[in-house]
Amino acid sequence: MAFSEIIDSLVRIAGRENVLTEDEDRRVYSYDATSQWKAMPDAVVFPANTGQVEGIVRLADAKGVPLTPRGGGTNVSGGSVPIRGGIALVMTKMNRILSVEPENLSARVEAGAVLMDLQGALAARKLIFPPDPQSFLGATLGGIIAENAGGPVCVKYGVTKQYILGIKAVIPAAGRAVEFGGVTVKNVVGYDLVSLITGSEGTLGVITEAVLRLMPLPAARKTLLALFDDLPKAGEAVGMVFDSGTVPAKIELLDNWVIRSINRTAGMKLPENAAAMLMFELDGRPEAVESDAAKVMRVCMAAGATGTTAAGNDAEALSWWRARSAGFAAVFSAAPTVLAEDVTVPRSRMPEFIRKVTGICKTMGLEVTVIGHAGDGNLHPSVLTDQKNAAHFEKAKIAVDRIVEAAIEFGGVLSGEHGIGLEKMKFMRRTQDPFFIEAMKQIKKTFDPRGIMNPGKIWED
Amino acid sequence: MKTSGSLENIRKFRADVEQCMKCGFCGYFCPVYRESRMEKGLARGKNQLIKATLTGEQGLTRGFYEAIDNCLLCKTCVQYCPAKTRIDRAVTAARADYAADAGLPLAKSLVLRFVLPNRRLFGAALRFASWFQHVLPGSGGRFRHLPHFLAALGAGRTIPEIAPRFLRSLLPENNPAPGPARRRVAFFPGCAAEFVFPETAAMLVRTLNGLGCDVVLDRRQGCCGAAAYFSGDFETGRRLARKNVSALEGYDSIVTGCATCGAGLREYAVYLAGDAAEKRRLEAFASRVADFSEFVVMLLSENAGGLQLNPGFEGRKATWHDPCHLSRHQEIREQPRKILKAVAGLEFVEMPGADRCCGLGGSFSITHFEASKRIADLKAESIAASGANLVVTACPGCIIQLRDAISRRRMKVEVAHIGELFSVKGAARADNPG
Ligand SMILES: Cc1cc2nc3c(=O)[nH]c(=O)nc-3n(C[C@H](O)[C@H](O)[C@H](O)COP(=O)(O)OP(=O)(O)OC[C@H]3O[C@@H](n4cnc5c(N)ncnc54)[C@H](O)[C@@H]3O)c2cc1C
Ligand code: SF4
Ligand code: SF4
Repeated sequence: MAFSEIIDSLVRIAGRENVLTEDEDRRVYSYDATSQWKAMPDAVVFPANTGQVEGIVRLADAKGVPLTPRGGGTNVSGGSVPIRGGIALVMTKMNRILSVEPENLSARVEAGAVLMDLQGALAARKLIFPPDPQSFLGATLGGIIAENAGGPVCVKYGVTKQYILGIKAVIPAAGRAVEFGGVTVKNVVGYDLVSLITGSEGTLGVITEAVLRLMPLPAARKTLLALFDDLPKAGEAVGMVFDSGTVPAKIELLDNWVIRSINRTAGMKLPENAAAMLMFELDGRPEAVESDAAKVMRVCMAAGATGTTAAGNDAEALSWWRARSAGFAAVFSAAPTVLAEDVTVPRSRMPEFIRKVTGICKTMGLEVTVIGHAGDGNLHPSVLTDQKNAAHFEKAKIAVDRIVEAAIEFGGVLSGEHGIGLEKMKFMRRTQDPFFIEAMKQIKKTFDPRGIMNPGKIWED
Repeated sequence: MKTSGSLENIRKFRADVEQCMKCGFCGYFCPVYRESRMEKGLARGKNQLIKATLTGEQGLTRGFYEAIDNCLLCKTCVQYCPAKTRIDRAVTAARADYAADAGLPLAKSLVLRFVLPNRRLFGAALRFASWFQHVLPGSGGRFRHLPHFLAALGAGRTIPEIAPRFLRSLLPENNPAPGPARRRVAFFPGCAAEFVFPETAAMLVRTLNGLGCDVVLDRRQGCCGAAAYFSGDFETGRRLARKNVSALEGYDSIVTGCATCGAGLREYAVYLAGDAAEKRRLEAFASRVADFSEFVVMLLSENAGGLQLNPGFEGRKATWHDPCHLSRHQEIREQPRKILKAVAGLEFVEMPGADRCCGLGGSFSITHFEASKRIADLKAESIAASGANLVVTACPGCIIQLRDAISRRRMKVEVAHIGELFSVKGAARADNPG
């Protein structure tokens, strides 16, 4: 069957205006937020409802056409890049918030709803969906679930999978939409397939709806900064804070590169020579927040901080978090090619690990920035390089290999939140038990026997 | 695929083009994307296509034009972009290279090149709609790439009347201050004030008089050219820029009541300079341009107490709509609010999303009529949420778009230019011009 017939079928399913095949339309779906992965789909389709997704999945399955789901295209692992061509299935038009049920602390959303739009709708009812990937302005719930995204608040609240009660997904093997899970927090009916689909990176099926678990908006929040003249020292302070019996909602680590970057772009006036900064957010009842804040500042000073300060009001706190978010974003474009790692080590090993990373890069003469969600040991050491400079790029890749090896050696994992996609694929065989990879392949076969869903990702064939 | 043209302008704005890091944050803010949910309409998508021309992957094709045409130049993306990517510059540069390479559509170039620069012809054209359609062959009888306020005339909006008397027959060239003058300023009405809202413009002139300014309506000035060069016709833009600059650069201040003209005059320096010397000249010119509310607040030394509300606005609940061309293109946000808060007799309320684009965006309102209307509807919702019965702004284009959205929803809300609201205490009132 010629591809043009497939296009005709897609048009019959989704309507002419929702099937794009022009060069420009395909080109803008060739990338994600990484600097080095790019591949054009042959067609781009925007489904309007689950029924259309079913039609598209059945068509792709029958014809063996690769089908790559895409939400906001904000992932940083090459996950939504249609590396084998075929169809880019863009979920952005399915963006409704279907219901919010305060009495059940739950909401039902379509997969293409953007996280910030959801939070806006929830805030009006004093509710939140805790997972907070810092791409909340662009990331969709479907992409967040498919990547099992986390964010600063995981320290206290955990990651996406703890907040997904149910998923509706179109599964190729079923040829239709299947409801996994339900609407209750307690549910032990058989294997936990909701968790399996969460984090499956679009390789098992297309998520079209989800039932989310919500929390009440905390009564009070407070943001603190602590500055350090040494990066590993900041890592040590994190351990001491937990040791003191306080669990902040967020603990973010920013290094000198990011500090200077946000001074520039966000007009902050942080000391240019500070080696590191920790940003804390405490939340809960107002009195508890105040006393915890005082304690965290004391502990940081005891850990060797050169200074601490608290945001005077919510607006100032918001501007600091915006700056932090922009600072992280800036890292991903700090050089023509940025190899941004997502390793996660046990919190207690973090200072050692940071020393190791900076050591590796220093001896190799490479520039690296170390930022991350320090509260849960999830770091993004990012090596700045340029793919076009072959020698430099090779060296950078070797450095990244060593960083990953070090993380595993320290009892950590390859990826904390960004997923494997294309970017981390080559590490899988080296770092994982062969049975684990084989089991994933078998699971994929059960869901997607013809291998149409986001092919070429997670493991090397 | 067509081969790339010279890419002269895209190259010139290379730093802006290459700044985007693809984070996708603009998806939450770009009004065009929020309607279409298609990446080609998103700041990131436009920018990536423009960037791809530099590597030769992307030609200056029709599809490319569609992407860069689908932009309000509202700069909302720029305001929130963590990388501070100036998409508006990348898009404007790309439009210029496309126009230089492929030419502008016939209808557009006719209007931009001949009708707008020649005010007499323009005035006549507006009077004779049938003749107007004659100069717009192939546009399906719709107006394309007219000044922003006039673009809205097509496509079934509530059409404002062309004024029976144009500004230049309403006011003389020299309008001296009643007492001893503190300064001499040029007033730049722009096409909208000239042809559609001359009475409002006359009020602005009176207010400036009342504040001690001799106001000159220099007859040598013309259309600001924003409509032309923002849509890529840099040649016409340059012609108009040179005309206006040589007419007006001798004045200390060039005051306009039109946000688009203000942005257009100020941004000559960004896009139109032929060489370094001209760039300096255009920058010097830009530094003399002032928006009406900015200028009034400056004259009152940050104290708007010297103003009094005109009859008819007493007791109204007013809210401010930030025109993109004022807030994001000229960074003027506080001054009009200062005035609205200080003038006695008016209650001021902020609407949610006061600086959200109204969706006019020049020819966008014609070429993307449905999207433009939906974006305007969101604005109307904000206005309704504020509870105001008066929306004040400073851009003729916005005024037309807002009036249309408000009347479609049958809301009881009036839209006024800020200059209509007040006069100077003690000065002759300006509600009876001419
Ligand atoms: C500046 C920046 C900051 C970031 N911060 C964080 C952070 O703090 N924490 C974090 O975890 N991540 C972060 N990310 C990464 C990224 O935003 C997340 O991975 C996010 O969850 C991706 O959502 P998306 O809608 O953009 O998905 P996309 O990028 O479009 O897709 C991601 C993956 O999900 C699949 N997918 C998308 N929609 C569906 C669907 N409906 N059904 C099935 N599969 C689907 C795709 O095939 C792809 O494999 C950040 C990214 C950027 C650019
Ligand atoms: S334009 Fe700015 S906000 Fe949009 S993707 Fe690029 S860097 Fe991000
Ligand atoms: S200028 Fe406005 S319309 Fe154009 S890309 Fe930016 S936000 Fe979108």
